[in-house]
Amino acid sequence: MSGSQGEDGVGGWVAAFSGSTVRYRRRLAVDGVTLKVSRGQVYALLGRNGAGKSSLVRCLLGQQRLTAGRALLFGEDAWASRPRAMARVGVVPEESDLPPDLDADTLVAWCQRVYPRWDDARVRQRLRRTGVPPRTPVNRLSRGQRTQLALTLALGHGPELLILDDPTLGLDAVARREVWDTLIGELADRGTTVFLATHDLAGVAGVADRVGILVEGRLALDEEVDALRARLRRLVLPAGAPWQALAPMGILSCQEALGGVEVVVERFDDALLAAVGGGPLEVQALTLEETFVAVTTGQAGGGAP
Amino acid sequence: MALRVQIDPTDPAPIWRQIEEQVRQLVGAGVVAPAAPLPSVRDLARALRVNPATVAKAYQRLCEQGVLEVRRGEGTFVAAHVPRQDEARRRELLAGAARRYVAAAAGVGASQEEAVTAVRAAWADGLAGERGEG
Repeated sequence: MSGSQGEDGVGGWVAAFSGSTVRYRRRLAVDGVTLKVSRGQVYALLGRNGAGKSSLVRCLLGQQRLTAGRALLFGEDAWASRPRAMARVGVVPEESDLPPDLDADTLVAWCQRVYPRWDDARVRQRLRRTGVPPRTPVNRLSRGQRTQLALTLALGHGPELLILDDPTLGLDAVARREVWDTLIGELADRGTTVFLATHDLAGVAGVADRVGILVEGRLALDEEVDALRARLRRLVLPAGAPWQALAPMGILSCQEALGGVEVVVERFDDALLAAVGGGPLEVQALTLEETFVAVTTGQAGGGAP
Repeated sequence: MALRVQIDPTDPAPIWRQIEEQVRQLVGAGVVAPAAPLPSVRDLARALRVNPATVAKAYQRLCEQGVLEVRRGEGTFVAAHVPRQDEARRRELLAGAARRYVAAAAGVGASQEEAVTAVRAAWADGLAGERGEG
């Protein structure tokens, strides 16, 4: 995790937090978070309930002020530049903010008048494909249809940055898949930058370029997905193997496994493993879910020294 | 258009490399014929539920290696003349897979004979499956 100064808002950063802190009365919800989202990146912000994800999202949207630090959108203060910045951003909030008594047709027509760059044909095609009924009021849509509608409307004006707050929350497997499908289609077509908070680790695992993990308001991890894969490993060694020799790799956990010892390390090193000898029975990367559990339960933060 | 590629989330290799290796092997083994069309980046990304940039990176590397070629406006195809898969590389992949299997078999206490029998059975199942789908 880098806390480097002086590059806020310049270069390729589409969104950035710098020393961002949010305090609600006595509770510190976000504690000195610094992270950057570069153009074309899909940044997934992970964390348990109450870890501070939604607070950060609201600050980036200029809906809430930081207690300290800065939240920047396109290099400008997110709070001050909200009216300008929102034309370049697509948003799907955690709770639908669509007018409950309006239907999709009416909402699309309304958005078309508001946004000069509205892509009406594409929006209507997307709504047909995902089965959102055009004449049913929002409050009578299923949760999945409502999310698809919100996502489709958020993409309609061709935003440079898409901000999603737990878009698959409360959806069934089919509806979740449709959300990721729509997002993957958008990435294929336009390469939009995405900043999303999510609990759907299996869904986001293949899509995110970079993940941040919040633990009690602090950013415990901020790293490229490929780099995480390269360093976190689960090794199964034959029973009696000298697993203690793996200590320089940073042992996160060690337990007996079927026919051997399972060791999770945070800085995998091929050469060191060879030096230990004996030959592991298994060498696996950690899934995003396993990574998340390792970080949030206390051990694996901080990345490489 | 389906392409038998599978992402293994516990494979230490980055996803783009997993896709690259598997497509190279499918092409090298002749499962995907020379000049055959491949799924678009978008379709394969959707099928695998990965970022399209990941698929694009794998395709791009395979194009640079002469395994695939892009025809403007038409899509991505297997090259008409695919460079032959290096024999040494092929043996190395096979030996590596065998070592992993032997370790797994030993882990459940299988004898050599049992392990070989299991391979034969799996092989027969696999070939039957291929015919069934065709």
